[in-house]
Amino acid sequence: MRSPINRREFLLRSGGGFGGLAMSQVLGSERSTPHHAPKAKRVIQLFMNGGVSQMDTFDPKPKLKELNGQTFDPGTGELVESVTNSPGFKVLASPFEFKQHGQSGRWVSNVFPHMAKIVDELTFLTSMTSKTNVHGLGSYMQNTGFTLPGFPCMGAWISYGLGNITKDLPEFVVMPDPKGLPYNNLGNFTAGFLPAKHQGTVINVKSNSPINYLFPPQEAKQITKQSESDGLELLRSLNQKYAEKFPSDSQLEARIKSYELAARMQLSAPHIFDLSGETQATKKLYGLEEDKTADFARRCIIGRRMLESGVRFVQIWSGAGGPTNNWDNHANISTELPKMTRQVDQPIAALVRDLKSRGMLEDTLVIWTTEFGRMPFSQGQAGRDHNGGTFVTWLAGAGIKPGIAHGQSDEWAWKAQKEIWCYDLHATILHLLGIDHEKLSVRHNGINRRLTDVHGHVINEILI
Amino acid sequence: MLRWISSFLFFLSFSLAEETHWSLRPLEKPPIPKSAYSNPIDAFISQQLKNAKLSFSDPADKRAWIRRVYYDLIGLPPSPAEINNYLNTDQPNAEELLVDKLLASPRHGERWARHWMDVVRYAETHGHDEDAIRENAWPYRDWLIGALNNDMPYADFVRAQVAGDMIIAEVPGATAATGFLACGPWDSSSQMGISDGTIDKKIAQYLDRDDMLSATMSTFTSTTVHCARCHDHKFDPVSLEDYYSLQAVFAGVDKADRLFDIEPETSIKRSKLLAEQRNFEKQINDPKIAKEASSWARKLQQNLPIWDPLNLKEIISSADTPHTVLPDNSILFRGDAPEKDTYGISGTTKLNKLTAIKVEVLTDPSLPMNGPGRAPNGNLHLSEIQVKIDDTPAPIERASADFNQTDWEINKAIDGKKETAWGIHPQEGKSHHSVFIFKEPISISKLTTIKITLDQVHGGSHLIGRLRVDLTGSKYPDAELKIPEKIAKIIRASKDEQSPEHKGALALHYLRTKNSENLATLPDPGKVFAVTSNFTAIGNFKPAIKPREVHILERGNIHSPKEIATPGALSCVPDLQSRFQIPKESNEGTRRLALADWLADKNNVLTWRSIVNRVWHYHFGRGIVSTPNDFGKMGTAPTHPNLLDWLAVEFRNQGGSLKWLHKKIVLSETYRQSTNDRPECQSIDTENKLLWRMNRQRLDAESIHDTVLSLSGMLDLTMGGPSARQFTSKKGIHVTPTLDYLNFNPDDPANFRRSVYRFVFRTVPDPLMEALDCPNASQLAPRRASSVTALQALAMLNNRFLVRQSEHIATKLKNEADPINELFLRAYGRPGTASEIMAFTKYKDEHGLANACRIIINSSEFLYIQ
Repeated sequence: MRSPINRREFLLRSGGGFGGLAMSQVLGSERSTPHHAPKAKRVIQLFMNGGVSQMDTFDPKPKLKELNGQTFDPGTGELVESVTNSPGFKVLASPFEFKQHGQSGRWVSNVFPHMAKIVDELTFLTSMTSKTNVHGLGSYMQNTGFTLPGFPCMGAWISYGLGNITKDLPEFVVMPDPKGLPYNNLGNFTAGFLPAKHQGTVINVKSNSPINYLFPPQEAKQITKQSESDGLELLRSLNQKYAEKFPSDSQLEARIKSYELAARMQLSAPHIFDLSGETQATKKLYGLEEDKTADFARRCIIGRRMLESGVRFVQIWSGAGGPTNNWDNHANISTELPKMTRQVDQPIAALVRDLKSRGMLEDTLVIWTTEFGRMPFSQGQAGRDHNGGTFVTWLAGAGIKPGIAHGQSDEWAWKAQKEIWCYDLHATILHLLGIDHEKLSVRHNGINRRLTDVHGHVINEILI
Repeated sequence: MLRWISSFLFFLSFSLAEETHWSLRPLEKPPIPKSAYSNPIDAFISQQLKNAKLSFSDPADKRAWIRRVYYDLIGLPPSPAEINNYLNTDQPNAEELLVDKLLASPRHGERWARHWMDVVRYAETHGHDEDAIRENAWPYRDWLIGALNNDMPYADFVRAQVAGDMIIAEVPGATAATGFLACGPWDSSSQMGISDGTIDKKIAQYLDRDDMLSATMSTFTSTTVHCARCHDHKFDPVSLEDYYSLQAVFAGVDKADRLFDIEPETSIKRSKLLAEQRNFEKQINDPKIAKEASSWARKLQQNLPIWDPLNLKEIISSADTPHTVLPDNSILFRGDAPEKDTYGISGTTKLNKLTAIKVEVLTDPSLPMNGPGRAPNGNLHLSEIQVKIDDTPAPIERASADFNQTDWEINKAIDGKKETAWGIHPQEGKSHHSVFIFKEPISISKLTTIKITLDQVHGGSHLIGRLRVDLTGSKYPDAELKIPEKIAKIIRASKDEQSPEHKGALALHYLRTKNSENLATLPDPGKVFAVTSNFTAIGNFKPAIKPREVHILERGNIHSPKEIATPGALSCVPDLQSRFQIPKESNEGTRRLALADWLADKNNVLTWRSIVNRVWHYHFGRGIVSTPNDFGKMGTAPTHPNLLDWLAVEFRNQGGSLKWLHKKIVLSETYRQSTNDRPECQSIDTENKLLWRMNRQRLDAESIHDTVLSLSGMLDLTMGGPSARQFTSKKGIHVTPTLDYLNFNPDDPANFRRSVYRFVFRTVPDPLMEALDCPNASQLAPRRASSVTALQALAMLNNRFLVRQSEHIATKLKNEADPINELFLRAYGRPGTASEIMAFTKYKDEHGLANACRIIINSSEFLYIQ
């Protein structure tokens, strides 16, 4: 047996702990050879910000109906804590109706009528667990594997590990809810201590310039099409001469390429955001022309177009930070939850169908997730408090065994019976992309850091 | 004892199993190798070059050297005149004079403080989810700049940042330095939202201490102790017990605003006055104090107003609310409470002069929550009060009350606005009173009618339930509002009526008043976001009365607490005691001071090696140890171990003078080398570890920003103070405000300050600075990346501030005889070549000078220091 010291030393000596993989360090480098043959080429993640209630959506608990209104008592002597709530917890049954759907017979509540129709494409992880019951920490954990700020998120790790598919667009793109940034603001999309180029490029779909600095400021009248092309040519020749003086410095050469790449991005990015070429049928499928679904539909379609154009990792957020207008339904689950599901249900189901009909689902991984679940007992009258004990994530597409569920929560959906951690989910996602999560590491402040910290097991049960 | 043995065995297992790790070996000055160079740095470097069959490169030309040394020492470029002076001087020690000048410039402290701010992850918001602004983080930054400009001995520099509040007599103003311990992220939602004693709260407290201790140990000793949070360090001799001893050092503090005095005399006076407060109880029986108190009370008594009740004649209510006049002359309103009401109360008095009226709002069992208001919680809102003397309005100059609800102060009742009012929440259930003082004394007669109108139009039955109106002609009508009611009563009583308890209470109040009057004469203290055990509790965030108990946690698991940890540091540093010998009952500051002294000890081999390496790293772009925060086995070994030790010992012997160290380095031949390629050397030492040439470095984000401003002549050299916010902000959906960098006016003067004064917002960083590798302030950043990306190119081309500055640079240059050549001189530190001038002149003629300036600031030669 090899000791951990030997393995670490080996990784360190073989170049920053990432063996032959850290290819995307130098700008413009091509796709890498991963650790093993990948099933997934690209990923789209739909993040429901605020903590989706599991027992009101995908994890029905008839027991709660029976106990409704009684004081919650797991009977194990375990301490029942609730972070923003005072004790005396009364069980709250789901106000929603559950039915079985599809060949697989998955139970789905009536808040997700569209997703209910695609359950045979989905694989549910029904006992996801978080270390924390606090939003900021929970979102950091699901995105970066750590509850503290400053660690690289999954998209950044994937960008670092695999590099770009296309040179014309960033490899990792994030579309926050136009109503506002999620908990932790930009912290969830950060490259942490990885090079800055791996951080999520934030797309502001409502802005004229959806990518920061894509075009010169409008007030700068001296910048014209001609001044720009002449200027970039002048800059190129200036930088070229300087680089020739120091041929061993690859950064100087890379700078010249970076301006060429920037120019290509200026050409290709606007095309992504122009949805006029989408068919009427597609627009209808996503609900692009209906008020409630229009925003999420637009972002899902843009996400699909990005994947088509070679973006590696797209993350779309539903819900801003703060106490309301997201999935943090403390006050009244029966009114607050449907308000959110109505916005995303149709666009998400459409995205999966659309990817499938284009043949993209085979090598695209779709992930639907949130930072934690909610409590089986009520807060105030009809709301639910945060619960890191158990929650639901689903996956679809590349390499995923469809139509099954993995993991089991207890009879109240209070805690997981067999815990699935973000480490396992992240390890599985990296695995599908051809990356061994134990080998993708970077040395920072004395520790070889991984997305999966010192944990993580690939969930083989859900893989084809 | 057992623990001591186990820790000893642990250390032994490391030191015996193999040779002591280089960073822990005793610090001895190695002999300087024989060489042709007078600077020992060159002697050490050239010897290793020779051994590897390498040699120094030719010196850089004078233009390259002066640009390099300017950026390195002050972060700004030399002006064409400064370059010329240097080129044309024939002084033999021109370089030395230049370096002395730069080191003496206030710009130097600004430049190097910014490096230090990277290392210590300085920012001005909490980070985490609830990313609120720290209004008082900046005094730490100002302290840093001052300390570096004054070349504070490094030992003091270290001690101040860990325990400055304990050494203010030696290092004045050092309390601000403890901002170091607090400048990391702080999890406000866990700390303020979650109840004490819960698991989530305990985790938050352990993690907060982890942040302080890992920053301290990484910064000052380049040790990765945080690896030992869950288990004994896998690679370095740091035990779980060492780790939790460090946790215990910080067990008494939290991150919060604390007051501090900059002047040592003030702080001595203040601490004396604050210490006096603890002895008041003992002093009250002192006859001398009693005498002083009673003569003070007599004086006060003469000023106390005498109140006369209004002889009630008529009481009306606009809502026809019924009332009863009670025997004490108070009016109780009864029946169903209307939404709003206006009372009109008229009467007469026997006084012949009026200076003020008093409205007492009184509790009554018939009122909700005992009143005194009629709102369900007993609150009331007095929207406006008006007084008429025989139908002539009597103007009210000011008002005071014994209690004011936040945002509902008593002056809201006389501001002429009905939508604002006086309120008493959360002090319902108690009687209150307010005094309204007339602009000038009013002469009246027995026949005069005094009418008081009380508007209460807020709604929700925020009405006065029971009230009494009194009048006075006294000169100081609100004198008694300045003293507690109980004391006022004692003062009013005759001397014989005063019981010994009364006298005691009076003496105590006298001592307190005198003390607070004396405190008020001191200059206002500064406020810094730092660590403290003394702050006002907010929600569940409460100060520790004594250091919290820290347990050794098995596997770092909060559910597996083992024995209680005692304050200490690392066992592996030779000649230093790892567990602090401090009395058990001493205050928490003693623990931090013990750690500060441990760190700054002249025998702490890690501390002295760490700092000289850090400084070397910034000068050369790479440290002698290329992992400046990790001197352990997993860090890299020093490329020049003897040089490192020579520098460490000599730096310590020079009193820890950083300026001495800078000067020694930048005047060396090693530093002076050119950056040119030399294929024959590259094949031997590709990474230039042995320094056969100088490393080319890209300007950092701050230097780019500051240089552009210096080219346009718009750089604002104001030093210190609250940070420049280079963004617009509005209230966010929750705690964190919504920031906008892109739409911030590029000509706003906030942009013109040096970047070291830029407000750094943790979770919403400036996109330009981020694209230029400004580190994420959530983690310690001992090194900066130097990335090249398409998004960086777009940012450099299209950022509004940079584009606007290119226009300002053009305006500045357009009247020069040869604007294009001048542009090259200022941006590159050299004249343009004939072909460059030709190409740029053509471009300028076609597209304007501003566009030409924009191209130059995007060019590699501008952005790199060679």
